[in-house]
Amino acid sequence: MRYIKLPSENFERFFKSLEAWGTLYAPVKKGGIYSFQEVHDPAEVARDYNRTMLPPKKFFFRPKEAILRLKNGRWEEEVEAEPMVLFGLHSCDIHGLKILDKVYLDEPADPYYKSRREKTLIIGISCMPDEYCFCKSLGTHFAMDGFDLFLHELPDGWLVRIGSVRGHEIAWENGELFEEVTDEDLANFKEFEEKRAKAFQKEVPQEGLADMLDLAYNSPVWKKYAEICLACGNCNMVCPTCRCYEVCDSWMDAYSSVRERRYDSCFMENHGLVAGGHNFRPTRLDRFRHRYYCKSYFDPTAGYNCVGCGRCDEFCPAKIEHVKVLEEVRGSLK
Amino acid sequence: MSENPYQTYDARILEVKDLTSREKLFTLRFLDPEVEAKFNFKPGQFVIVDIRGFGEFPISICSSPTRRGYLQLCIRKVGRMTKFVHKMKEGDVVGIRGPYGNGFPMEKMEGSNLILVAGGLGMAPLRSVLWYAIDTGKYENVWLLYGTKAYEDILFRDEIIHLLKHGEAMNCSVKLAYEVESPSCIYLEQGFSDRVCKGVVTDLFRGEEFDVNNTYALICGPPVMYKFVIRELLDRKLSPGRIYMTLERRMRCGVGKCGHCVVGTSVSMKYICQDGPVFTYWDALSTRGLI
Repeated sequence: MRYIKLPSENFERFFKSLEAWGTLYAPVKKGGIYSFQEVHDPAEVARDYNRTMLPPKKFFFRPKEAILRLKNGRWEEEVEAEPMVLFGLHSCDIHGLKILDKVYLDEPADPYYKSRREKTLIIGISCMPDEYCFCKSLGTHFAMDGFDLFLHELPDGWLVRIGSVRGHEIAWENGELFEEVTDEDLANFKEFEEKRAKAFQKEVPQEGLADMLDLAYNSPVWKKYAEICLACGNCNMVCPTCRCYEVCDSWMDAYSSVRERRYDSCFMENHGLVAGGHNFRPTRLDRFRHRYYCKSYFDPTAGYNCVGCGRCDEFCPAKIEHVKVLEEVRGSLK
Repeated sequence: MSENPYQTYDARILEVKDLTSREKLFTLRFLDPEVEAKFNFKPGQFVIVDIRGFGEFPISICSSPTRRGYLQLCIRKVGRMTKFVHKMKEGDVVGIRGPYGNGFPMEKMEGSNLILVAGGLGMAPLRSVLWYAIDTGKYENVWLLYGTKAYEDILFRDEIIHLLKHGEAMNCSVKLAYEVESPSCIYLEQGFSDRVCKGVVTDLFRGEEFDVNNTYALICGPPVMYKFVIRELLDRKLSPGRIYMTLERRMRCGVGKCGHCVVGTSVSMKYICQDGPVFTYWDALSTRGLI
C-alpha cells in the first residue's frame, strides 16, 4: 500500500480532477436523508454523512433494468456502461460490494454488473459511527482492498491510501496536489482510528454466531419479531448485500419486447412460490427467519452476508433492530 | 456462443404429444447446428425455456443424453407460462438456455443397481435416467417404482407398459402404484398382478429385496413424498449417501444470481440451481429446508 497526503486546500482541485475519469457521484443530502447523486461542485458533497438510503449497489445492480430487448424475434443484449467515479464510499459499503462481486462476478459472470464494475472508480472516505453502526464487530469497519483510493480525515487534510493501479494513476497524474505523509500525519491517523474504534455503540457477538442461530431455529423469538414485522421488504432494498431479483417481460409494441429485472425481496410471498402453487416459505415467520439466516450465513471466503451498515435498522418502519434480534435469538438458547 | 448467460438459443418444436390431459411432451431441436453440437447434458439437469416476450421458466430434461439430436421436455399446464406453451405447435420456435444444475452422478453409479422412485410429474427427470441406464447397459438392475394418481395420469404410459411387458430383457423392472381405481387400472393389475397395485409409491417397496451395498436410490416427486420414501430406504439400511433426490425451487436465473432458490441457514446455504437440483440425503440432513 502507498500512503500520500492530500492537504485540505487541494481537495477542491483533486475532486474536480476526478471528473476526467467518468461521471462523478457522491453522497448528497436530500431532505433528511443522504443519497449518491451526480455532482459537479465539491460543496454539494456531504463528506461527513452517516449512510445513504440506497447503498452503492444501485450503480451496478440497478433497482430496475432492461437486460434483453426483443427485436425481430431475437434477444439483443444491452450491456452499456459509462465510466463512473463513486466518491465517498464508507468501508462497510466497500465490503458490501465485495460480497456482491462474489455473486455477480463468479462464473458465469453477470455481464451487466461486470461491465459497470470494471468502468467504475471507487474512492472511499473515513467515517464516524452513529447509533446504528455495528460494522466493527463484523470486521468490515476497515477496507484493506476493494477501492482505488481511500481518504482518511486528518485535521489539515486527508491521508490517502492507494489501493489499485488506477489509484496510482490518479495520484501520478495529479502529483502536484499530494504531499508525502509525515510522522505527525500518521499520529493523527492513529488517533482518529482509536477515537473511531471507541465510538461504536452496537456489536454483534460473532463467536459461534452461525451455529448458535442454526440451533435456535425453533426459537419463539423469530415468531415474536415476525409478528411485529410489516413484511414491506424495505430492509432488502436498502441492504448493500441483498441481491435477489425478479425477471419480467413486457411488450413495447407489437414487435418488440423488453426483459427487465428488478429488485426482489425475500419478504414477498411469491419469493418461494413454484409452479402449481406450492410455496416453500409460506408464512411470514419462514420469510423473516430466512432473511436473518441469509444475512448471518458465513462464507469462509467472503465472510458474513451482513456488513453492519445499519440501514435495515434505520429504515425499518417497525423499528426492528438487526443486532437485537440476533442477541435475543441467541439468548433464547440459554 | 454468446457470453451473456441470459441469452437463449432458438429451438424448433419438432413434435408435440399429449401425455395426459395436463401434460404434453415437447420434442425440440436447436436451429443453430453449432449450438446443437455443443449442447450436452446429464440426466437430472434442467433448462430454462424462454417464450420471447412472455417470460421464462425452468423445466427438467426428460430425454436421455444417449439419444442425440433432440431434447424432450414434459410440461404440465399449471400457470400462465405453461398454458401458453401448451398452445404452441410443431414448427414453433422457443428459446432455450442451459443445461443447468449438477445432474445425477451417472458415472459414479455404474455397475450398481438403481432404484428410481417417481411420484407424479417426478417421472420426467427420472425418465432421462431410465433411458440412459437402459441405453448404456452399464448398470446391474434398474427398478422403477412409480406412484401415480390414476391410469390417465401415467406419464409416458406406452413406454411404461412396454417396460412392464418387456423390461426384464433390459434388466429393468417396473412397478406401478395408482390411487384412483378405474377399469384400465384393474385390467393392468390383472395382467401384472405382482407389479401393479392400488396404493402409494412406498407400497411398491413391499417384498422388494436389494443389496444395500451395491444400490443407489434416485427420487423425484412432490415435496410430501420425500420423507416417506426416504424412511422406507433408511429402514432397509441404505446409506444416506446412496440416496439421491432431485428438488424443485423457483429457479429464475439458473446461474446462482437471482436468489430465489436459496435454501438453508447460517451454517449451510445452497443454491438449488447450482449446488443441485440433485442432492444426497446427507445434504438434506445438513441443510435445513432442503426437503
